[in-house]
Amino acid sequence: MSQLLTPGKLIIRITLALGVLLVVMLACSMVGSEKVSLNAVFSRLGDETTTNPDYEIFVRVRLPRIILACLVGAALACSGVVFQALLRNPLADPYILGISSGAGLGAMIAVISGLNWTLWGRSPIAVFAFIGALGTVWLVWLIGRLTGKYYVTGLLLAGVVVNAFFSALIMFLTSITKAEHVQSTIFWLMGNMTEEDFLVLWIGTGCVVGGMIALFFISPQLNALSFGPEVARSMGVNTGKVRILAFAIAAGITAIAVSLSGLVGFVGLVVPHGVRLVLGPDHRQLLPISGIMGAIFLVAADTLARTIITPAQLPVGVVTSIVGGPFFLVLLVKYSRKVSWLQ
Amino acid sequence: MNKWHWFLLALSCWMAAGFTISGPRRDRSCDDTPLPHKANRIVSMAPNLTEILFALCLDEEIVGVTLFSDYPPAATNKTKVGTFWQPNIEAIIAARPDLTLTVTTTGFDQQKYLAMRLNRIGYDSLTLHLETVSDLFEAIENIGQATGHQSEAHRLTNDIRTKLDRLSALVDTGDKVKILYVVQRQPLRVAGRGTFVNEMIELAGGENAIGPTVHRYPPIGAEQVIGSGAEVIIELAMMQKNIAEQKQTAMEYWSRFSSLPAVQNGQIYVIKGDTVSRLGPRLYEGIETIARCLKPHLFEN
Amino acid sequence: MSSIIKIDNLSFGYTSNDMVLEGVSFNVETGIFLAIAGPNGAGKSTLLNLISGTLKSQSGTIRIDDTSIGSYSPRKLAEKVAVVRQEHAPIFGFSVIETVMMARIPYYGSAGFERQVDRDIVNEALELTDTTHFASRPITSLSSGERQRVFIARALAQNSPVLLLDEPTNFLDPKHQVNIFDLLKAAQREKGKTIVAVTHDINLAAQYCDQALLLGTGGSFKSGGVQKVLSTEQIKNTFQVDFFAGAIGTEQFFIPLGKFAKYSTQSKDSPEKM
Repeated sequence: MSQLLTPGKLIIRITLALGVLLVVMLACSMVGSEKVSLNAVFSRLGDETTTNPDYEIFVRVRLPRIILACLVGAALACSGVVFQALLRNPLADPYILGISSGAGLGAMIAVISGLNWTLWGRSPIAVFAFIGALGTVWLVWLIGRLTGKYYVTGLLLAGVVVNAFFSALIMFLTSITKAEHVQSTIFWLMGNMTEEDFLVLWIGTGCVVGGMIALFFISPQLNALSFGPEVARSMGVNTGKVRILAFAIAAGITAIAVSLSGLVGFVGLVVPHGVRLVLGPDHRQLLPISGIMGAIFLVAADTLARTIITPAQLPVGVVTSIVGGPFFLVLLVKYSRKVSWLQ
Repeated sequence: MNKWHWFLLALSCWMAAGFTISGPRRDRSCDDTPLPHKANRIVSMAPNLTEILFALCLDEEIVGVTLFSDYPPAATNKTKVGTFWQPNIEAIIAARPDLTLTVTTTGFDQQKYLAMRLNRIGYDSLTLHLETVSDLFEAIENIGQATGHQSEAHRLTNDIRTKLDRLSALVDTGDKVKILYVVQRQPLRVAGRGTFVNEMIELAGGENAIGPTVHRYPPIGAEQVIGSGAEVIIELAMMQKNIAEQKQTAMEYWSRFSSLPAVQNGQIYVIKGDTVSRLGPRLYEGIETIARCLKPHLFEN
Repeated sequence: MSSIIKIDNLSFGYTSNDMVLEGVSFNVETGIFLAIAGPNGAGKSTLLNLISGTLKSQSGTIRIDDTSIGSYSPRKLAEKVAVVRQEHAPIFGFSVIETVMMARIPYYGSAGFERQVDRDIVNEALELTDTTHFASRPITSLSSGERQRVFIARALAQNSPVLLLDEPTNFLDPKHQVNIFDLLKAAQREKGKTIVAVTHDINLAAQYCDQALLLGTGGSFKSGGVQKVLSTEQIKNTFQVDFFAGAIGTEQFFIPLGKFAKYSTQSKDSPEKM
């Protein structure tokens, strides 16, 4: 009986992970190109804020950015878990079904069209990237269904085809458009975190945490689906509904993450594997812990990105790839006994 | 499922709460901000803006510049607040400016968003559109007005205008010289007609050998090079130090286009970047440099 | 004895001009062990998929417990019918007990965790399939025989009256083949389950099953008591190959004979009957 997950064990593990997350968030908020003292932040809370640069840097620049990194990291990690389960493919990541090229195309179109308006203070790039990401997933879903109901290989192939086609479109647009447009798009695509305002963070948190809770509700069904849809259905799982729900939520939170921060690679692929290697494949545990680990990873990566070549900043996607690769290798070597598809 | 109902209810409450909380708080936006009339702590987010500030005798008030603001040399001693492409908002805030200058051109909005972010937090900013020569004069006047240095601004613009008028009087004799202005050799990229470099060329008595193009800095092929009939070729120095070496490789590279008058007459020049790439107070120096390449005989005195 | 599965005039084809099953009708009485046998391509797995609800028939009805199969939700159907298919090696390494516990997913509490009664049912299933001693091992570390027992345990844990199996003894050695059929027979006797197994092994079918359905290519079928259906003539006609038929007491066995087999009837020596 020791292998079964119990509510008690789960709560302890989630609490521990959250504790680590809070510590990391606090530590990273103290790190930056300027020295900030917590005393100065809190002692003059009542004053007019422009006279307290410590407060401003801490509360209005660093904290929002750290919270954003948490959201994006959690969204990408959870989405990676879901896609790996639905597609029954350990190499799946949130971008596998065309979200990356769709977002990129959306961003490019936004930049080229030179639109000037903002939605809630978000630039048109973010909105178009969001639409592009979701639209592409929907397109891939449609194409995949044409190859036969819920056929996983069909989905994957459709993703590959759409990715290739949209990437070609992006290259085409790159070659005919002005240089500074290209620069802006590429810059955005490499992944970057800026401080967002309160409402965006609040809504974003609602969406991502809400998505994670909903996915947790269907985690047992995701466990069953890892054995294949027919097997799951024979066990009483309503595979049609569960797959659509899981797919939609994962695509949705990924689109939100991409629209907020560009394309941050590696988190959605590596974090689920890491957590699965250590804690096992039960999604009731894998999902929340992966989300929290994804948040920790991205907060740390973003802090590195903004301090390592100060005063310039690295795009955070660069850091996640460079750091994530070797880290994953170490994990893999250490726990490779547990991984079935390596044997 | 009951738990789904609770979940959706909680989610809706969360979202509604968000809108309620953020409603009454109004962050300042760009539009409401009146332009300041004096500034004691200024941050400049572009090298040409830094040059303008120094030229307006505001060097004492500058508290932050970008990494590549290297002219005048005194600018290199100022605190760095990131680069033109990667501003470091923490450093900007730490410098506690009462005015931050940012720059935009068509297609480059990034600094506009930087300005918005700063405004949201409560820092004033001024965004200058710097794309043409007349933009430059307007920007200088605007900066002068925002900082209370209007008279210095007038003086600067008059100075530049006078020198430009004198130069155009000098170079307006004779035909316009066809010039190919090369910004990159591999792949070959030239300055097109929609750039401020083009304006400088025309003010220097020249004419862009390339006709109107879609891109502002279009990549071109050998065909277009030969068809341009350029009489002078100017290359931008890739690195500041090895101008002689670049001139050597340039001569070798261009020798294949033997039909070009520029090649036949050896009119191939390599010039340093600052004065011609930055739309700033040294505009006149840049234009004069180009003019010396186009019509050297006019300057032998 | 009532029939828990009633199939009436069932027809199915993967394409419209290639009908695999035509007009199949038979009843499966509650509590019997039915073998579905036939040559490759006769439609055995198709029939199983139709009964389990994975495929939808083009015409005819399938009734489980007197209700048409189309009106069952996946959850309700799982309460009646459990399926053991041939599965690929699993991608993720769930432990044996985690795997078997998944059969109880429709009954989990609202927080998404199993209750004590589920644990009891799973333990019982593990004991019945003799898999308790490796309950904590990941399923990816088991041999195919052990894995097959785990999947049967999972199906048993569903506590459904009907158990469908698709070629459960494929790839297993004789000891494990007999193991599985003993297990199934025990489930039938002790738990009163109705067992429908698609199998290639007519000898095991003859030894263990009460009834048989013999499907031939071209849509022919014969159903009834196993002795009657699995007669030498029927088998030779359906499988289109020669068989040597012998008997141990009243129980028959069949050995297929090829041209070069040692005891081929085409050779001069004929074997003695035992």
